[in-house]
Amino acid sequence: MPDLSFVFAQALSGLTAAMFLFLIASGLSLIFGVLRVLNFAHGSFYMLGAYGAYQFVHWLGTGPGRFWWAVLLSALCVAVLGGLVERFLFQRLYGKEELYQLLFTYALVLILSDAAKILWGTQQKSVSRPPGLTGALSLFGATIPYYNLFIILLGPAIALGFWFALQRTRAGRFIRAAALDRETLGALGVNVNALYTGVFVLASFLGGLGGALITPMRSVVPGMDTEVIVEAFVVVVIGGLGSFWGTFLGALIYGQVLSFGILFFPRFSIFSMFALMAAVLIIRPWGLLGKPLK
Amino acid sequence: MIRVLTLLLAALLALPIAAEAQKPIKVGYPMILSGSGALFGEPALKGAEMYVEEINAKGGVLGRKIELLPRDTKGDANEAVRVSRELILKDNVDFLVGTLTSAEGPAVSVVAKENKIVFIANIPKTDQLTAPDKLHPYVFRTSANTTMEGRSAAEFVAKWPVTRIATISPDYAYGQDVTKSFVEHIRKLKPSVQIVDQQWPKLGEADYTPFINAQLAKKPEAVFSSLWGGHFVTFVKQARPLGYFEAIKLNFIGVGEAGSPETTKALGAEYPVGITANTYDAFYWTEGPPAQREYNARLSKYLKDEYPNSWAIQGYMGIHVLAEAIKKAGSTDSDKVSKALLGLTVDTPHGKMTIREKDHQATRGLLYGQVVKDAKYPFPILKPIIYVDPIRFMD
Repeated sequence: MPDLSFVFAQALSGLTAAMFLFLIASGLSLIFGVLRVLNFAHGSFYMLGAYGAYQFVHWLGTGPGRFWWAVLLSALCVAVLGGLVERFLFQRLYGKEELYQLLFTYALVLILSDAAKILWGTQQKSVSRPPGLTGALSLFGATIPYYNLFIILLGPAIALGFWFALQRTRAGRFIRAAALDRETLGALGVNVNALYTGVFVLASFLGGLGGALITPMRSVVPGMDTEVIVEAFVVVVIGGLGSFWGTFLGALIYGQVLSFGILFFPRFSIFSMFALMAAVLIIRPWGLLGKPLK
Repeated sequence: MIRVLTLLLAALLALPIAAEAQKPIKVGYPMILSGSGALFGEPALKGAEMYVEEINAKGGVLGRKIELLPRDTKGDANEAVRVSRELILKDNVDFLVGTLTSAEGPAVSVVAKENKIVFIANIPKTDQLTAPDKLHPYVFRTSANTTMEGRSAAEFVAKWPVTRIATISPDYAYGQDVTKSFVEHIRKLKPSVQIVDQQWPKLGEADYTPFINAQLAKKPEAVFSSLWGGHFVTFVKQARPLGYFEAIKLNFIGVGEAGSPETTKALGAEYPVGITANTYDAFYWTEGPPAQREYNARLSKYLKDEYPNSWAIQGYMGIHVLAEAIKKAGSTDSDKVSKALLGLTVDTPHGKMTIREKDHQATRGLLYGQVVKDAKYPFPILKPIIYVDPIRFMD
C-alpha cells in the first residue's frame, strides 16, 4: 500500500494534467457543439499559443509580469488568427460534406506546423516559470509546485466562468440556441455567421491559452500540436462531444487514470486510457455526459 | 593511317571513361527533416553537407565529386524504407548514409542488404542494428551503440557512493536497450547495487509528474536517464519544482545527449547543474584534440552560428568514413567498399576511430562531463569533458 502523501501527490499531478486538457478540449468540444465541425487544427492553435508565449517572453525582455503579458498576448493573437481562419476559410465550408471539413482542418494542421517550423526553427524552446510561482508547497508530505497549484485553481475558475457566460448572458443563449438549431436562430434575425466567428475566436483563445500556460512545464517543440489533439479527442469522446461538463469530467478522468495507471500497469498507462475510451464508446457512444446525436 | 585510326579509337574508348570519372558519386541521405525529429536531423545533414563541400573543394574522391541527396524520412521507418528504395532505384545512388531513429536504422539496413548497397548508419544506437542475426556485409555504424553508451554510464555511476539506483527511460527500442546495458553492466561492476525502480514513460510523454512522484516514493540514491532532447527538457521542467534533483543529491546521469549544448541552451538557468550527462560534441572543448577545435571553427563559419550544433558531427563522421573507404577501395563498387570498411581506421575530429571487422561497429568515443555554469557562456557546459574510449568494454 503506497503511503498517503504519495497518493495525494499523484492525485494532484493528475489534476494539473486534467486542467490543461480541459482548457484545450473545451475549445474542441465547443466548436463541435456549435459549428458541428471536428477541428483537427485545434492542437495547432495550442502549439501556436506555446510558441507565441515563448516569443513574447523573448520580446518583453525583463519587464515586470512579462510571463503573464506574454500568455495573454499570445492567446489573443491565436484568437485573432482563429477568427481570420473561420471568417475567410471555414465559412466557405459550412453545409458542405463533412469529409471536406475534415480534410480542410487536416490541411490546416500541416500548414501551421510548417509555418511554425519556418518561424521558429526546429530547436526546442523553453520558458521559465514566472517569478513568484517558482517554488513549491509542502502539503501532507507531498511537494506541490506553486505553478501546478495555480493551474489547478485556474481550471475550475475558467470552467465556472465559461459555464456562467453560456447560461446567463445573451451571447451564451445564442450559442446554446445555435447548437440546437441554427436555421431557426438565423430566421429570428440573429447573425449566425458572426456568432460562429465569435465561437471560433473563443475556442481558439482557449487553445492558445492552454498552449501558452503549459510552456513553463514542458519544452516547446514541433509536433506538440498532434500530440495534444489525440489526447483532447480522447477526453471529448469520454466526456461527450459538445458537452461542456462532459469535457471537464473527461479531462479529470484522463488525468487520474494516467497518474494512477502507472502504478498498476507501469508500461501500459496509455493502454488503460484507450481501453477506457473503447469501453465508453461501446456502452455510451455519445460519451458520459453527452447526448445521442439524432 | 592505321595509327590515326587507332588513336581515334582509343580516344573514343576513353571518352566514356573520362565522362564516368566526371560523374559525381551519389550518396543518398535519408534523414528526419520534418516534424519534431528535424531538430536533430537538420544539423546532422548540415554536418554531412559541410564534409561534402570540403572534400569536393579538394577535388573529391577518386577524382570524382560527391553528390549528397538528402531525403526526408519524416521520422517514420516505413517512409525511410520508401525513400531509400527510391534513392537506389530511381536516383541510382551508390551508397546510403544517414537515418536517425532506432526504428529507421534497422529498416533501411534491410533495404541495403536487398540491393547490396553499403549503408552507414550515423545516428541510430540500437544494438539490434548490428546484432549477429541482423548483421550483413553492407551495414555499418559510425555512432556509438546502446551497449557502449549504457556501459560507459555504468562506469561513472559505479564510482558514486550509492547502491539504490533507479532508471527512467522512454519506452521504445533505444530507451530499453541502453537501460538494459546500463543495468547489466552496473550489476557486474558493483554487485551491491539494487535497482529499486524503473519508470518507462512513453516516447514523447508530455506529463512526467506521475512518473517522478512514483520514482521518488521508492527513494533512490541515484538515477540513470535516457530521456533526450525536448523530452529531457520537459522532464527537467517538471522534476525540478518537485525537488527531484535535491532528493537524489544530483546523483543523476543523463545519456541520450542530455548534456548537449542545445539542451543546456534550451533549459538555460533551469538546467539542474551538477548532474552528469553526455554529448556528441562540444564546441567549447578547449582541452580537446586540435582537430576537434578546427572542425568546430569551420562548422561555426559554415552554420553562421557562434555556438555550432553538436549533432552535426554525426553526419560529418558518417560521410567522412564512407569517403575514406571509397579511397581505400579505389572504387565505388559496394562490395569493394564494404571490404575496405572492415578494420578501416579514420582520423576523425575526435581522434582515431576504427570500424571493427567483427560487428561493423565504429569504436566511437563518448563525451561525458558534469554540467556546470560557466561565465563565458549564457548556458551551462560540461566541465571538464571526459573522453571515454569504449574499446575496453565493447564485446
